[in-house]
Amino acid sequence: MIDPTQAGLRESATFDRATIASIQRAAETGVYDIRGWGAKRAVPHFDDLLLLGASMSRYPLEGYRERCDTDVVLGDRHASNPLHLDIPITIAGMSFGALSAQAKEALGRGATEVGTSTTTGDGGMTPEERGQSKNLVYQYLPSRYGMNPDDLRSADAIEIVLGQGAKPGGGGMLLGQKISDRVAGMRTLPAGIDQRSACRHPDWTGPDDLTIKILELREITDWQKPIYVKVGATRTYYDVKLAVAAGADVVVVDGMQGGTAATQEVFIEHVGIPTLAAIPQAVQALAELGLHRKVQLIVSGGIRTGADVAKAMALGADAVAIGTAALIALGDNHPRYADEYAKIGSAPGFYDDYQDGRDPAGITTQDPDLAKRLDPVEGGRRVANYLRVLTLEAQTLARACGKAHLRNLEPEDLVALTIEAAAMARVPLAGTSWIPGQNF
Amino acid sequence: MCGIVGLHLKNPALQPELGRLLVPMIEAMTSRGPDSAGLALYDDEGMHVVKDVGLPRDICAAHGIASRSGYQAVGHTRMATESAITPEHAHPFTPVPDLALVHNGSFSNHASVRRNLAFDGITCTTDNDSEVAARFIGREIAGGADLEDAMRMVLKEFDGFFTLLVTTATQFAVLRDSFACKPAVIAETADYVAMASEYHALAELPGIADARIVEPEPERVYAWSR
Repeated sequence: MIDPTQAGLRESATFDRATIASIQRAAETGVYDIRGWGAKRAVPHFDDLLLLGASMSRYPLEGYRERCDTDVVLGDRHASNPLHLDIPITIAGMSFGALSAQAKEALGRGATEVGTSTTTGDGGMTPEERGQSKNLVYQYLPSRYGMNPDDLRSADAIEIVLGQGAKPGGGGMLLGQKISDRVAGMRTLPAGIDQRSACRHPDWTGPDDLTIKILELREITDWQKPIYVKVGATRTYYDVKLAVAAGADVVVVDGMQGGTAATQEVFIEHVGIPTLAAIPQAVQALAELGLHRKVQLIVSGGIRTGADVAKAMALGADAVAIGTAALIALGDNHPRYADEYAKIGSAPGFYDDYQDGRDPAGITTQDPDLAKRLDPVEGGRRVANYLRVLTLEAQTLARACGKAHLRNLEPEDLVALTIEAAAMARVPLAGTSWIPGQNF
Repeated sequence: MCGIVGLHLKNPALQPELGRLLVPMIEAMTSRGPDSAGLALYDDEGMHVVKDVGLPRDICAAHGIASRSGYQAVGHTRMATESAITPEHAHPFTPVPDLALVHNGSFSNHASVRRNLAFDGITCTTDNDSEVAARFIGREIAGGADLEDAMRMVLKEFDGFFTLLVTTATQFAVLRDSFACKPAVIAETADYVAMASEYHALAELPGIADARIVEPEPERVYAWSR
């Protein structure tokens, strides 16, 4: 076979190899592609922002001697027992079903070790996860799979999920090969049959009904637990205003890079807006209500490094949530599984078939032999390590900007590298005072 | 990048000397802030504010500061950092009646506090970070807070580096941030309390050799009332 580039052949930018393969696959099978992960296309992101470190006009803080605090309180607007987290980096909701019980336990162990929270997902709460998570957020989803009042009361916070960045307007999927007897039992569904979660809640259709639902949940939990509302990023300004009006203590905004266990590829890549574009909308909504940093904002979708954490917080987030990055910390896409990825038609760095249950790393599977590859204790250690590094990196950058607390980062500490990022993040293009779309 | 001085007279006999004692103090801070200078002097008629660009010596001479009397004064020499050199940007900032604030340092989250104040209808007239602190304290005091309590609120709301000297008609208060890296010294005798960024600004005060001299601790409000 010739080397196409050496032979001077030109590849189409419009019909690139992945596009050609997807057309061929569609033609052969007649079904659309389902996969995991989040949007893979390049969108304006935190990499397009830079922080303005202190120099002469401001002073930096000394890295090893001077404090830069990281704690955050979530949900003190109405809840009598808000969450007090040591770091503003939480673990996003991922279901037992999508993930193995071992993976859920490992996430709980890792989060607990560094003083943060983890979150359940569709399909309910497992005892392993509850047992190993000091702060566990219980997701209340449209499907209500696995939902019961006892688990609601045993949670530390409740997250009403309206949508997800990977699929705003869509419901989750769990394919039959991952519906083991245990998963099926928790969801009161038949084992081995493909399952689709609802795209909207069955008993309310808007913010007016949500107000009643939130009051109902507060009554069940005696006004103790913080109530989050999670939305996929689309019309974020309006959604955040409505979530607050409905009584949320915390709003979670998940950008289009946010992951999923199983969704149509076309949905993942073509619905929703980038995380970068969503944060300023959310902050504007909260600020106009006088509730910025009073109703806390958690941002997720593409958080990978401490720089992402610092930049999200500078734009106005109170905390961030990680999902895909936490799975990678557990061992997802690790080169050690290269041969096994090859057998299922993938490769380290490319694997996104979370839907099919054959994950060599034992994370996105219900196969008992694969799942036992992941030691929850060792997995927890890796997640804790990763969370520590994110925190230390964010502190390093905050100190450079003269902040004794991460939350004191502000948009004025940021500039953008591209006009697109400047317009979306509403910070000036580097070296200028120009924020596209403003000052006209 | 700025120098601050203050004098709170306990002995009424010194009141005719207020300006004469103050001028050498602020002139000693010239090298810390050659861009502009300002003073607030308190007498029985109220607070009198002078702010201008230029050297402290010239500003004091132009406004006859040496001959002023009163019971309390603050002064500031400015080396501008991120905002313009104009009389309006000079300290002290006096957002509400009888309140004067002078600041050495730089706040690192003043844009956020400025937005919060704006939401409450309190608008800053300059882009100076110190004005934000003055208006914040002014809001707290207008809401009924004691000056000491308002200063403690600064510790909760503001990040960055600061030595603050804030006065009202009856109080004189000093506060440093948790790192306390912006210099400050307080001298107290039976006759007065004096504060400056550096000791040499206090060196010509009467009885200074016998004064109780302290470097203010971080995050502690030092306050005197009359």
